[in-house]
Amino acid sequence: MNGGVPVARRNIMADRRRLVTSVVGVGAAIALILLLQGLWTGFRLQISAYEDHVGANLFVAEPGTRNFLGVPSVISSDAVSVVRTIPGVQRADPVAVRFAVLDLHGSKLFTFLVGSTRGGMGGPWNVVSGRDVRFDDEVVVDRTVAGQHGIALGDRIEVMGQAFRVVGLSGGTRSWMAGFVFATHDAIERLVRMPGTTSYILVRTQNPAAVTEAIRGRTGLAVLTPRQLGDNDRALMGRIMSGVVELMLVIAFAAGTLIIALTVYSAIVERVREYGIAKAMGARRTRLFRIVLGQTITIAILGTAAGYLIFRGGSWLVALMRPQMWIRQSMSGLIFAVAAAAVMAVLAALVPTRRVARLDPASVYRG
Amino acid sequence: MEMGGVPVGRRNLFSERRRAFLGIAGAGVALLMALALDGVFAGAMGQVTVYIDRSGADAFVSQRGVRTMHMSSSAVPIATVDRVRALPGVRWADPILYDAGALMAGDKRELTYLIGYVPGHRGGPAALVAGRQPGPGEIVIDKEAAATLGVGVGGRVTTLDRGWRVSGLTTGMTNIVNSVSYLRFADFAAARALTGIASYVLVGVRAPVDTVIPRIEGSTGLTAETRQAFAAQERRAIKDMSADLLKIMTLAALIMGLAVIGLTLYAATLSRLREIGVMKALGASKARLSGIVLAQAAWTVGAALLLAVVLAEGLGWILGRASATLPLVVEWPSVFRLGIGAAVLGAFGALTPLIKVWRVDPVTVFRR
Repeated sequence: MNGGVPVARRNIMADRRRLVTSVVGVGAAIALILLLQGLWTGFRLQISAYEDHVGANLFVAEPGTRNFLGVPSVISSDAVSVVRTIPGVQRADPVAVRFAVLDLHGSKLFTFLVGSTRGGMGGPWNVVSGRDVRFDDEVVVDRTVAGQHGIALGDRIEVMGQAFRVVGLSGGTRSWMAGFVFATHDAIERLVRMPGTTSYILVRTQNPAAVTEAIRGRTGLAVLTPRQLGDNDRALMGRIMSGVVELMLVIAFAAGTLIIALTVYSAIVERVREYGIAKAMGARRTRLFRIVLGQTITIAILGTAAGYLIFRGGSWLVALMRPQMWIRQSMSGLIFAVAAAAVMAVLAALVPTRRVARLDPASVYRG
Repeated sequence: MEMGGVPVGRRNLFSERRRAFLGIAGAGVALLMALALDGVFAGAMGQVTVYIDRSGADAFVSQRGVRTMHMSSSAVPIATVDRVRALPGVRWADPILYDAGALMAGDKRELTYLIGYVPGHRGGPAALVAGRQPGPGEIVIDKEAAATLGVGVGGRVTTLDRGWRVSGLTTGMTNIVNSVSYLRFADFAAARALTGIASYVLVGVRAPVDTVIPRIEGSTGLTAETRQAFAAQERRAIKDMSADLLKIMTLAALIMGLAVIGLTLYAATLSRLREIGVMKALGASKARLSGIVLAQAAWTVGAALLLAVVLAEGLGWILGRASATLPLVVEWPSVFRLGIGAAVLGAFGALTPLIKVWRVDPVTVFRR
């Protein structure tokens, strides 16, 4: 067993069926790591979809407000006219935002009800079919919600006990967690029975810094940029969900490590006599460790490649079947998965190495 | 070789103990992922209905078409309360105001559901671990939230754009997302400038609740549900929200499990191929040889499932001590479902070894 013989590769390639099974197993673990990160990245983008696309530079909200999600802001509608008089404000439109749970043929869907004024900011930014709402008994729903629940333009859906006609379908307005339902401001105000109030005032201006100060000074309300709201929402969701995501990542990592270790260990057990001969012929521990590590690294590399392909295929399938779930691959996610695979390879080498290190060269001469 | 009574499958599997351990551990960890996901959501679902469960109400009355509290809005005329109280079979009816909010203290912030209730009536905190019920301008918060905010009884928090003195602490009302806080109905209404409405009406009955629900709905035109049905709707909403995500993750976990089980059975079979050849040469039937592989599969799947349950219980114990807001609850129906899934994995994983065993040539006995 000299330095020129690719023992690790030959050993691992000796049983192709086992190699393929192992690569699929490690691939599933890597794909799961990529999928978790991809879903998380996609979700983080979806979180701020409203703030990013609605066309406002500033959101005026109840004092203490930091999030668009999670905590509803309630302010007096009178503040709209005050904000409109502030120099530098090009547009200021109220939006009423409340949570609701829709019952759609037997399943429940969390929604953000968004009420905007006709012609004002705050309504659906991407109507892909039909039109925006004009009347108080009309709504625009996300097209994936419509597709999943068989809702067509002209159909009526019930929101908090009131029937609305679907006049438009919007795109990019849903995450796996919740979808947007757009209606008129008056409709939402009546639905939640809070007359004379609104949730946010959306402001468009060329001079956000000065206008922010002026609004704060005049109204005492909170003023946030879409970026601030989005970042705060991402931080909020991160705090809620990071524990679960990290737990799943650790389990996927452990499973991948064990699969590699099992494959290489099995391959070594079957070739234990050959390892004994190598040891009897003077192969050092470092050489044997390199052989073991070579095998675990080979599986990790092939598993990573397979995992990437499974991930791409899975992402395509998810996008096709559940378009509300955005999976976005990031470079940092890819680097993390490759690094995880490398660590898996090293950790997986430990048990097989122990087996080889303890091997008695005399075992060669036994039956 | 007396084959009938010898547990060949088990002996084959455990002949190389480290390999058996790696295989069972790998499959167990893959199954753990599915079990842990189920457990985390089961824990979250248990937390999400804790207010409803502890309310003491037999029924909840809400705005027509509203059947949940979590991420929901409801408004009913306050006059509903007297109308419900007057109905036959109703023992008591009390209003609450409800909304999502944030508790702030200094630069710290905790999300909360705010409950406005009438002191001396239902809807308030089930039990206090410190302090007393809220007086005017006061609030009762959960002790987990209080610890995060760094306040105690007598401390001050801000919510609903006002400052409040903490008069008491509850426990068990903090979940993965937020907590529940209690203040006076009148204070809540004043802070939100609400007049003449409540969010929900809590109802206690003296007659069978199923007979009272239609009376309430008929009399008020609102939606009424039993406490159990209301909590079930709440759980259903969370379940529907996370169902797709759970399915994807579980599928990936099962693929990993299938790979490990397949590898384990394949390696165990391959290492004893000569012995299997001997058995075949001695006249062992195809069914007998299949039985050996299937016994290996059963042992692997059974041990992996047991390991997954033990690990999940251990994880639940650790999480329970490390974080009160991320409970992991292992439910037996979930274990049963996973057991069926694992059995299917075992059957698939046994396919290649079965083919290998069926095709083994008895002549291999005489080869080295």
